[in-house]
Amino acid sequence: MAELSAKGLVLRPGVGAISARVAPGEILGLAGLDGHGQDQFLRSLAGLEKIPGTVALNGTRIANFREAGRARIVYVPRDRRSTGIFPGLSILDNFAIATAGRDRRGPLISPAARRARYETWRERLQIKAPSPEAPITALSGGNQQKVLLARALAREPEVLLLNDPTRGVDVATRHLLYDLFRDLAQGGMALVILSSEIEEILALSHRVLVFRDHEIAAELAGEAMQTAAVIAAMFGRAG
Amino acid sequence: MRLMGRYTFAIAILIVLLVANLVMNPARFHPAAWGTLLGMAAPLIGAALASTPVILAGRGGIDISVGPVMALVSAVVIKVLYLDHGLASPLILWPAALLIGGLIGAFNGFMAVVVRVQPIVATLGTYLILGGLTLTILPAPVGPAPDWLKAMAGGWSFLPLGVIALIWWALSRTPFNDQLMAVGSDDRAAYTAGVPVSLIRFLAYVITGLLAAAAGMMLTALIGSADPKVGANYTLIAIAAVALGGVSLAGGKGGLLGAAIGAFDIFLLQSLLTTFNLSTYVLQVAYGAILVSAVVLIALQDRGAKRSHA
Repeated sequence: MAELSAKGLVLRPGVGAISARVAPGEILGLAGLDGHGQDQFLRSLAGLEKIPGTVALNGTRIANFREAGRARIVYVPRDRRSTGIFPGLSILDNFAIATAGRDRRGPLISPAARRARYETWRERLQIKAPSPEAPITALSGGNQQKVLLARALAREPEVLLLNDPTRGVDVATRHLLYDLFRDLAQGGMALVILSSEIEEILALSHRVLVFRDHEIAAELAGEAMQTAAVIAAMFGRAG
Repeated sequence: MRLMGRYTFAIAILIVLLVANLVMNPARFHPAAWGTLLGMAAPLIGAALASTPVILAGRGGIDISVGPVMALVSAVVIKVLYLDHGLASPLILWPAALLIGGLIGAFNGFMAVVVRVQPIVATLGTYLILGGLTLTILPAPVGPAPDWLKAMAGGWSFLPLGVIALIWWALSRTPFNDQLMAVGSDDRAAYTAGVPVSLIRFLAYVITGLLAAAAGMMLTALIGSADPKVGANYTLIAIAAVALGGVSLAGGKGGLLGAAIGAFDIFLLQSLLTTFNLSTYVLQVAYGAILVSAVVLIALQDRGAKRSHA
């Protein structure tokens, strides 16, 4: 159970600082037109951006990506092809790469232990794959995304940072992922989800931050979470 | 099965060359001579194995100082330790050789990974430095090597290669191997997945240095002395062997077994062409031709595989 907080993040020189927090069990949505700072904000929570301001987990400062990883703040990138999958490796290895050490029995990795660990996630995420040894490129976009999520979840995150997780994913898989995210939140994980689809953000989140010109244009919660309000904030019109 | 796929070409050549050699040269390839035969192939196999880890680590990773490391190890072990100081025990000479290789590997790794000099330039610097250093220590060939070392080119030739194989097998079942292949396959994705990319690359250079030192010992065993000029020749031919063995020079694909098969291919080709009394110039043309065709075929195979999965 951990609370992630950001204080005084300045996404671009000359704009206002951003402070925000996500509580355990909460889903925070990030909305905005592409390139208005929400992507940078999410990446800075993961320790991937060098900008003024601090990020802390339960009050302990997180200075960079490695510390974030150690504190189990796990980031799932947006561009599956360039920063997500390893096209040359199998599904199994793609799943296990972030947690390779856990398959050790004694000093050596046990292939059986790795397969067993993958199987539990395959069932939970309903990954449809010919065999764990098949190349990851043999999977559909939706199933590749599930493998990437399994890789992230195997790290047992305290905070899960998702960068447009349903991009290029079919409708059935989307709904499966929505249920999964709600489940994870219910289990006490804090989630930050960036999405380019307003409907998705509104359906999933407890609270939404709308970005415009690298600042927060609006913070919406409860009754105020309406499509019209999000769009108004995105385009800088008074709601 | 997919792994075998990368080796198909190297194995096919291996079988053809092996049969041709058996027919042309039955005495040399008689089972009783296998130890000596492996001893003759060992330096090239060792050099090819040494070249592989940094290439697997990707992003232009290459170590052209492998040959000069072999020469330096040979010079220090025979001239300085054995002849000048009378140290003959394998328990001193092997650790000393590995220490030299590991330190040079660490230096290369530091230059390529921490200072971020392009690997080919960084290791070219090392290549030149070591070449000069070796000639300073040992201006002309000297010998002999201790008897136990010479035996490693004969009946005991399987021992160093066997130990390397065993260690690599163990290593391939540690997280390091997964992380090395991931780093070579796509370093940005590896970083995002939490893999310590720089550390893994650095370790790849250290392992390359250690293996180059072992190759240097096998070379010393084969020629039974130390020769400052022989080692450097192994650099390029080892890289050819690696490519022939299906290891992608872009990183992330292949393994030590492929490199070893590729090296054995080149050794067999060498051996066959020598039986025909062909000049070494023809030999070079043959190396080049076989390398180009292998790389083209592997590239076509990769493209085919990509299409069938896309």
